Amino acid sequence: MSIPTLERDAILSVVELPDTAWVTIVWNDPVNLQNYVSHIFRTYFGHPRDEAERLMLLVHNEGKAVVATGGKEAMERHVEAMHEFGLWATLAKDGS
Amino acid sequence: MIPFEHRATMIAVRLHELEADLLRQLAEQLIVLLGQRAPAAGDSRDGGSSESTGLDAVSAATLLAQLGIGGATTPPLDPALARLLPDAYRDDRAASSEHRRLTEFGLVDRKIAHAHTVVATLAADQVELDETAAQSWLRTLTDLRLTLAARLHIDDDSTVDDDTGDEAMRDVYDWLGYLQGMLVETIEQIDTDIDEVNHEL
Repeated sequence: MSIPTLERDAILSVVELPDTAWVTIVWNDPVNLQNYVSHIFRTYFGHPRDEAERLMLLVHNEGKAVVATGGKEAMERHVEAMHEFGLWATLAKDGS
Repeated sequence: MIPFEHRATMIAVRLHELEADLLRQLAEQLIVLLGQRAPAAGDSRDGGSSESTGLDAVSAATLLAQLGIGGATTPPLDPALARLLPDAYRDDRAASSEHRRLTEFGLVDRKIAHAHTVVATLAADQVELDETAAQSWLRTLTDLRLTLAARLHIDDDSTVDDDTGDEAMRDVYDWLGYLQGMLVETIEQIDTDIDEVNHEL
């Protein structure tokens, strides 16, 4: 009998992915200095200098950049840390 | 006069007496401003141990939140405070409120502790910053610039060069920017020196 199998497949297909797909976004602001923003991306997130620089320029030129991806709680901690640094950061579900 | 000079990992601060006095007064004003969002007035810390104060603040804030007496759930009305304590979600007011209720007390307390560190370090005859104090300086200089920018209506990149605001305040804003840029450069130089030493080993 193939019908029960098909039903189980249908059920499995709607099971959601684990709650890990969240992002931390840093937004451009006219106050923070470029070298300060790079410094934070390097020292806080542990990015190499060139990657920290690339992300900083992305924020500056595109208005925002995703600087971290992961679980919701980790992204909440990142956002709070960014606010302590004085950067304008938010978290969101990836792709939203 | 170069405001910062490093020897190994210590940073010597060389400010004119008037500059040091101005920075101290600004940091003290920042403490008062942020105090509007603190759980209760009447703290008397010396600012000498911002790290441990920060950790205590986190657990105290969490405890308060668990007891149902967390922080505010709405952003501050003052645009300067709103920028210092922004929403954590862009388009989700309920999630922002909940995040603010759980975290704002801790964040405010850490920001106040950083400003206290600036005030405390400026009291020395020879102002010197270790790594922790330098990080407090960076954060407080940023908070001061964000506050002045809100007062000067510097809202986006197009208004940066508008001189519509108070000229003296604008000068202070620019000076703080100069100080912060130099401090970041000095810390980066220290880190580069450490990288080179590690590389040689």
